[in-house]
Amino acid sequence: MLFKADYGNAPGGGRRRILRIQLLALLPVMLAALVNSGYQYFQGMALLPEFDGSDLRSRLVGILSVNPEAPGLYDYLAAGLAHVLPMLLLALLVGGFWERIIADRRGHPMEPGFVLVALLFVLLLPGAAAFSHIIFGMSCAVILGKAIFGGDGKSFINPALLGIVMVQVSYPAASVLHPLWSGMAGYAGSDAIALYHRGGEQAMAQAGIDTWSAFIGAIPGTLGTTSLLAIALGAALLLLTRVISWRLLAAQFIGLLLFVWLAAAFSDPSADVHSMPLHWHLLLGSFAFGAVFIACDPVASASTNPGRWIQGFLIAGLVVLIRVTNSTHPDAVIPVLLLVSLLAPLIDHAVIAWNIRQRARRHV
Amino acid sequence: MPGSTNFEISESSQLSMLGRDYRGVHFELLCEPGDRVRAGVAVMRDARRPEILFTAPSAGRIARIVRGARRKLVALQIEVDASDAVAECAAPAGQDQAAQRDFMLASGSWSSLRTRPFGNIPDPATQPAAVLITAIDSQPMAPPVAPVIDAFAAEFSAAVTMLGRISSAPLYICHAPEYRPAFDQASGARCKIFAGGPTAGLPGRHIQALCPIGFAGAEVWHIGYQETIALGHLLLHGRPWAQRIVALAGDAVLRPRCLAVTPGAALAELLEGELKDGSLQVLAGGDLYRQPLATEPAFLGASQRLLKVVRAAAEPAADDVGALDMEALNIGSLIPGDWLEANGPPGIYAVPLMRALQLGDVERARELGALELVEEDVDALSRVCVSNSNYGLLLRQVLDQLESTY
Repeated sequence: MLFKADYGNAPGGGRRRILRIQLLALLPVMLAALVNSGYQYFQGMALLPEFDGSDLRSRLVGILSVNPEAPGLYDYLAAGLAHVLPMLLLALLVGGFWERIIADRRGHPMEPGFVLVALLFVLLLPGAAAFSHIIFGMSCAVILGKAIFGGDGKSFINPALLGIVMVQVSYPAASVLHPLWSGMAGYAGSDAIALYHRGGEQAMAQAGIDTWSAFIGAIPGTLGTTSLLAIALGAALLLLTRVISWRLLAAQFIGLLLFVWLAAAFSDPSADVHSMPLHWHLLLGSFAFGAVFIACDPVASASTNPGRWIQGFLIAGLVVLIRVTNSTHPDAVIPVLLLVSLLAPLIDHAVIAWNIRQRARRHV
Repeated sequence: MPGSTNFEISESSQLSMLGRDYRGVHFELLCEPGDRVRAGVAVMRDARRPEILFTAPSAGRIARIVRGARRKLVALQIEVDASDAVAECAAPAGQDQAAQRDFMLASGSWSSLRTRPFGNIPDPATQPAAVLITAIDSQPMAPPVAPVIDAFAAEFSAAVTMLGRISSAPLYICHAPEYRPAFDQASGARCKIFAGGPTAGLPGRHIQALCPIGFAGAEVWHIGYQETIALGHLLLHGRPWAQRIVALAGDAVLRPRCLAVTPGAALAELLEGELKDGSLQVLAGGDLYRQPLATEPAFLGASQRLLKVVRAAAEPAADDVGALDMEALNIGSLIPGDWLEANGPPGIYAVPLMRALQLGDVERARELGALELVEEDVDALSRVCVSNSNYGLLLRQVLDQLESTY
């Protein structure tokens, strides 16, 4: 009975349609995450002979894979499943548990939104995230990010984003990849963008990361954020069904273009990262994923059209600013999204106040 | 008869004047059931403003007077007879403002003027800040404006001249870019083009663009193009225009087309032999704005130009937001996507307005422009918003509060 959400005759049929589309849009991202996490796992195994593979997920890989010595697509998928599935099930279980308790206490039917929260939350974690972090993060996401505001669609911050932020703040090491996942011996960073921060183009070439592999997503990183191709497919679905605002999405990408150009124009030419080209900003790190799935969450973004443009440019500007000036946050997307989410109501407020003043001038 | 269209004429033996078409009017009856009336004879008047008359659109016998809760008039039904008796109305006594207004009041055409804010019949003692003629209908599948006005060009032009004289305020003719109606330039009317989507034809949008209302207590009057033709008909021929052009549309209609029907015609007669078999739903209005059908039996509303009939299954029950009960105010959470902006009243931020309406925040709603709106402007929002709120109803609650202090 735990997951029996009441879909009965409750109001908001359109809300479930939006949720279905959002879940469907995450499907290609999920697939890419499965294949890539398996791929990264076998890459790491080859580089780290001292890794014994005695943990639960490695033993699962041992059971599922057919040819671990020379792994193929099936083995990648199996290894990915062995890593991602336990995380996803646990996140769903924790989210559903709290959702059930809250629904019972309030006497409401269970809301289905936690499924999306769990999926987004897991996709923002590294493949070897500790189970205790998932329990902690999902609890924060559902209770602090959603329930205390009154449930689905009533919070002003994306619950999955809040969960991730709570995990990263409480366990800073959790956002650092296990050496096994970096694809490079001795390297520990959050994802491929940290690698760029250390060594620029040279490090990219050394790690075997080129534009194509980054585009399809065969690079180290948090689960869902590596494949621009999969994210673009999801974004296309969300845009076609008008679930997300094209203005907000366009503002973020145009903003990125603008601020990358500004950073390159007014910066120290000796630092690689200042002149980090646009395509690496897009391909490495979680900007694309955050822009499409977190920032464009209709509930937690600005709700006026000028507000959407402002919010998009703000996100892009802050991401580029932190990326080029602060090497301790090579990716910067998560903290920026949190900050701008909190600012979105303020942006709306300013837009409305300006609109009211304009109207007052013209009134008869 | 001068002025005729190519539209197929649909005769009705029953017609009705609906109380809900005239907001805020306390009707005082000037006739009794069984009385024979001539076309153009006053059958009702506003008890509080007795100079505002409501005239019979056709000759016939008063069949029934339906009253609802608190004896509110629901409908005055007339059985049309073939006598074709007409009470000719006298031409205006002069060119001055008072004579023009007296003519409109005596002929019953004053009741087709509407005010913003609130959508009432204007008080004959007041002056508007502007008068708007809505010569555009952008509701999907609504009858085309151009052939109707062209067929009654003389009537339209005469009415424009008269509307220019009822006040010293500017007179605007709001029209679509592809059709500019002809009228007498001496009337001083100014043409304004409105384009861009189904909301382009809403008077709320025209007022927002031409004459925003909000702080100083001003009023804008507006009138539809067919009502304008009806006024011109009275002016030129002395008798009421016994037709309205109405579009018949929807996937359950055998031959979707435009019909020239009697004002207030009974829908059962109008739709006989026009519909496919099966479980059907008749909608008073279209995708942009619709009302639930008024009474049983149902009649055409005074300003209704589109009759849409769909298969009942095609319109899910959750879509039917018209029911006037408190359940309709059940508020779920609103998901502020930009699809709301496209369906909302133009020039007004939809999501902040919807939030203000949900919360009953009268002051914020007024600041955002609620005074320019009536139910029809926010009706589409009720259908695209996932919260199941009836914004028409919420807006009217806010407007009622504003009206009591305006």
